[in-house]
Amino acid sequence: MRLISRLKFQTKISVGTFLIVVAVALMTAVPVSRMASRAIIEESRGRGLALAENFSLRLADAMLTQDLLRMKTMADELTAVGDDIVYAFVLDESGDVLAHTFKKGFPVELKAANVANGKGARIQLLDTGAGLVYDYAVPVVISDRRFGTARLGLSRSRAEAEVGRLLLTFGGLSVAAMAAALLLSSIFARRVARRINLLKEYAQEVVRGNLDIETASTLKKNCWEIMDCGRTHCPAYGRPRHRCWHMHGTLCPDCAPADSQGRKACERCPVFRENAGDEIQDLSETFGIMAMTLKRQIGALGQQQQLMRTILDATPDLVCLLDAEGRYLAVNRAFAVFLDQSEEQIIGRAESEIFPQDQAAKRQADTRAILASGRGGQAEVSVPTPQGQRWFHEVNVPVRDPAGNVLGVLKTARDVTEVKQIEEKLLQAQKMESLGKLAGGVAHEINTPLGIILGYAQLLQDDVPEGGQVREDLRIIERQAKVCRKIVADLLGFSRQHESSMGEMDVNESIREVASLVRHTFNLEKVAIELDLDGELPAITGDREKMGQVWMNLLNNARDAMPGGGAIRVLSRRRGPEGGLAVSVADSGTGISPEHLGKVFDPFFSTKGVGEGTGLGLSVSFGIVQNHGGTIEVESPAPPEFRPTWTDGAAGVGGPGTVFHVLLPQRLAPRLAPPGPDTRETAQPQTTQQEKATA
Amino acid sequence: MDLAARATSFSRRGLGRLLFCPLICALLLCLGCAACSPGADDDPVLRVDLSRRQETVAPTSKAGITYAYLPQYSHTTSYKRHHLLVEYLAKATGLPLRQVFPNTFDEHMKMVAQGDIDISFSNPFAYIKLSEQGARCFARSLEASGRPEFRGQIICRSDNRAIKTLADCRGKRWIAVDPHSAGGFLFALGHFYDLGLKRRDFAEIAFAPGPGGKQENVVLAVLAGKYDFGSIREGTLDVLKGRIDQDQIRILARTASYPGWLFAARKGLDPGVVEKIAQAMFALSAVNPEHAAILEAAGLKSIIPARDQDFDPVRGLVRKLGLD
Repeated sequence: MRLISRLKFQTKISVGTFLIVVAVALMTAVPVSRMASRAIIEESRGRGLALAENFSLRLADAMLTQDLLRMKTMADELTAVGDDIVYAFVLDESGDVLAHTFKKGFPVELKAANVANGKGARIQLLDTGAGLVYDYAVPVVISDRRFGTARLGLSRSRAEAEVGRLLLTFGGLSVAAMAAALLLSSIFARRVARRINLLKEYAQEVVRGNLDIETASTLKKNCWEIMDCGRTHCPAYGRPRHRCWHMHGTLCPDCAPADSQGRKACERCPVFRENAGDEIQDLSETFGIMAMTLKRQIGALGQQQQLMRTILDATPDLVCLLDAEGRYLAVNRAFAVFLDQSEEQIIGRAESEIFPQDQAAKRQADTRAILASGRGGQAEVSVPTPQGQRWFHEVNVPVRDPAGNVLGVLKTARDVTEVKQIEEKLLQAQKMESLGKLAGGVAHEINTPLGIILGYAQLLQDDVPEGGQVREDLRIIERQAKVCRKIVADLLGFSRQHESSMGEMDVNESIREVASLVRHTFNLEKVAIELDLDGELPAITGDREKMGQVWMNLLNNARDAMPGGGAIRVLSRRRGPEGGLAVSVADSGTGISPEHLGKVFDPFFSTKGVGEGTGLGLSVSFGIVQNHGGTIEVESPAPPEFRPTWTDGAAGVGGPGTVFHVLLPQRLAPRLAPPGPDTRETAQPQTTQQEKATA
Repeated sequence: MDLAARATSFSRRGLGRLLFCPLICALLLCLGCAACSPGADDDPVLRVDLSRRQETVAPTSKAGITYAYLPQYSHTTSYKRHHLLVEYLAKATGLPLRQVFPNTFDEHMKMVAQGDIDISFSNPFAYIKLSEQGARCFARSLEASGRPEFRGQIICRSDNRAIKTLADCRGKRWIAVDPHSAGGFLFALGHFYDLGLKRRDFAEIAFAPGPGGKQENVVLAVLAGKYDFGSIREGTLDVLKGRIDQDQIRILARTASYPGWLFAARKGLDPGVVEKIAQAMFALSAVNPEHAAILEAAGLKSIIPARDQDFDPVRGLVRKLGLD
């Protein structure tokens, strides 16, 4: 058996076919030869009987006349006619020999060797020493009277010689058939094995990764030629090595619908009848389709894998997959970058090998808890990084197999530091908005009685003599009422509840005007003003007076930040393609502490001493800029690119400095048109503003 | 079991079975055939030594009274018709009577003349010849018709349109039974003579080949179209009933009746023997079932006494035709 299993397929087919032919030849030749032999013997036997009976009938007249010559003639004729007739003779009713064909006497023993009793013939097989002889004894009967016996000897050896020749012929034919079978089976086996070997080579190519194999042969006539369809967009069109009945989605209108298992019923299709091959051909074609499908699927899989990888790598979230042992199975690029290691360094390692001990312990505990419970979790955690403390929103979920068993943990962490900052700034903005409303309401309510107080104080001054105490008191009342009115006006400005006249204005020109107004005063206080204005700045829509107030407030604020003197640098720049502009006012002062940085635009917030300021300057500026659809931001310490470059005669230039950025749109958006504060509308600019304020 | 394991298993076990099963089956079948087939070898064989030879001697003819039937039919038919009568006569008379079979009319005549035939059953024309040699009739037969005479018949094929009447036989080919046949030639010749047709008026007059079966041969020769017409004794067509299609034969004419067949004793036969035989013949009665079978086989109604002058009409015919 082991030897058989080691044989080549071609040899197996050849040997198998040959053995089958031998078996069939034996099964047929032996019984057929035997039957034929028997038939020949029987036929010979029957022929002898017919001859003997005929001999007997013809003897009747001669027996009646006792015509011995006629009897002798008839006997001799018999032996002359058939060369297998050994002898013939006639006995009378007494058993005496009337005529015979023997020469040199009649064999004594032959007469009694076969005796026909009754009227029927009797056959006796005789062994004469020279061969076997069928002896026939047929009575000569006329009108129920027996006149004698006709005897005939038929050589069986001759019939057997015929049988021998027949067997020899059969044997020769069988051997020829076996030889032909061996030859044909070898040719057939070679053909089959060649095709199977070809399939094996194709399979080996597939194993080696070469899926661009063409296993099917080209056809004499392709499906689109047979059907003359002209459907060039059909998937089978123009593919001579792919059979349409193996393909899905063909557009042939004559295609029978596929059955419930997706197989096509193509037996009646002329294309199938013309081109369908045998099972090996079918296997070969199916193999080709399989390779093609495999290639397509692998391509799609690779594409999907690449896509998934791209998605994973493109996401800023930190994504990692851990197995049940807590080792990394996969990480995305953000995760690797976050850890400042390559993916290969991370894969296969445990969290304890990657993270510092304190973090690793907590992460491993979380992982174990998820693996044990099968429940995920999410949390916001603060993680120390080289760039400082960062906030992450972590989502950890268990990964299950189809049976529901937990195989690992998928961890994603999103950096929400900026979101948290934005949330804080949003709170600040909401606070400012509320303050604006409150301040505006209070100022509006106070403004009227304050006007009345101021009016009456002025009127009463006319009623009292000048120089008197009363008049002096009234002046004090008038002066303080005016102070109050200024405060009220500022509060209204902060809450954007004042009137404004919008028009086209040149920001650079506005800045130059204000700078020229204060330059002299500032010089006296050893504060230098440096203008770095963009000459290509576009005109904007704004209130020239209000914007001038903004520049004035910012310059004053800068000067106040440099009590020992210093330098102020004003920059105007065109902003990006959106067409806005930015004006930055930087000083070289002491800067603003981080805890105050979020409060500088609050009304009445001031770090100056009592009586040195109302704390409304920046608040008013904030309101005006917002009223123009812009934003105002503060940075401290000031980035180097904004810091003043002039240091001549300036003192205190070594401070960290502060820079205020006023960002203005070129055209005022209608929805931002004054009056009235709008929390939602201002939220987005403030967000931008706050990002820089906290940087 | 996975596919690969199944494939391997098939490769080893399946292929082995595939290869060896047919061989085993074939061998078993062959052995079975060889064992079960009843052959000619089953015949018992008898050992015979053919070398021991001896010369044979033909048995001598038996002595006794010989009886012969003028060979108008085959010997077998003659035997079948008369062997019962011969056996009856032998038994009734106690004489060693046996039937002999001359091959031709001439041989019959010759054997009677030579004394090889003691009792002859012949037609009246033959008797005319025999009587000239000294033979004497002593009994005559009644035909199956019940009359002591019989007739001849002139026949042709039913589809022979050239012969509608006897006159149409002129210039035609004629086959007769035998020149010595009464019903099969002589009566017909006399009949034509009376109509003015002589022997020379026929294209050919042929006689049926012998020995024996000559009456039947005439019918068969006409039927085969070898001759245009033929002459037979009445009753021949009945003998051939079932062997030929009778509708294919047309009887053109029947001759005049003449005395029928007769039994004659050769010249010199003991009259006592003749008397014994004659009495035994006359004793045959159709009412006796045993006799009836004998008479039926011989085609006779009965046997009655006869005298030589009973056959003078035939002698007249012979003279008329110039055959004497």
